[in-house]
Amino acid sequence: MVPTSYYIALSGILFALGMIGVLTRRTAIMVFLSVELMLNASNIALVAFARSWGDLTGQTAVFIVMTLAAAEVAIGLAIIVAIFRKRETTNVDDLAAMKG
Amino acid sequence: MMIAFILLGALTLVGGVITIAAKNAVHAALGLVGTLISVAGLFATLNASFLAATQVIVYAGAIMVLFLFVIMLLNANAPITGRDPIPFVRELAGLGGVVLAGSFVILAVSYKDPRPLAEATTALGGGSASVVGETLLTRFLLPFEAVSILLLVAIVGAVALVQRPVPQPDDVPDSEPELLAPPVGSAISRGGNQPALQHRNDEGEVRA
Repeated sequence: MVPTSYYIALSGILFALGMIGVLTRRTAIMVFLSVELMLNASNIALVAFARSWGDLTGQTAVFIVMTLAAAEVAIGLAIIVAIFRKRETTNVDDLAAMKG
Repeated sequence: MMIAFILLGALTLVGGVITIAAKNAVHAALGLVGTLISVAGLFATLNASFLAATQVIVYAGAIMVLFLFVIMLLNANAPITGRDPIPFVRELAGLGGVVLAGSFVILAVSYKDPRPLAEATTALGGGSASVVGETLLTRFLLPFEAVSILLLVAIVGAVALVQRPVPQPDDVPDSEPELLAPPVGSAISRGGNQPALQHRNDEGEVRA
């Protein structure tokens, strides 16, 4: 049995990798790929906690996170395609039209 | 079991580094595929067999196909090089990442299991589809239904976002009277009177 803390440490490192990717990459698609890394890191932690407590709640939450990620990717990539048609770029620095 | 964890964990981290560091977007997506499959293996070592299968099918299969499709559709595999909006953004992000990872590792080391792992693992029932499905449809029925509505909204939203703009009657220029009344029911009647020609080329690429 691998201790739960190993899994949580791995999850934290993967989450930090995803955060670095979100902050440094300039293409919107690459930012999305990094967000997927962070979601997977949270999934590892949820399943590890589910085994630690002997409770299936964590595994169920992973199922819902997966569905959310699929919906997010569908909508986000549709937005990226729509923006690319209009602006010919997906550089997140150039897409500051709303100044958000 | 420990050897499996070390191998899968190393593969996960290598895939993650490829994802955030690869110059080519297709290489980054393939690195993420490696990470996702390794995470599925980690789920299998955590007594979550149904989630491991779902991870491979949904994440490594469906979502990554969507990513690769859009990357190739938009010709986004060339890297964007140029000025950074914030100076030292890479160094700052690296420092923040190291601090975040370090604090997570410290938190993880301080975590103690509430009861013995072998005893807790038997309560999971192997994480098979039947036990996960039973939890999903009893204790988590409301979130389950909410997710189904969310998926419906996502489908409708994606279709609405990428469809070609339906021209309003006011937009039709007066100089093209033959476009005012396209033949009813024909396949191109909805988008046939686009003013700009490059839109049609765009759509042709989308369909190809």
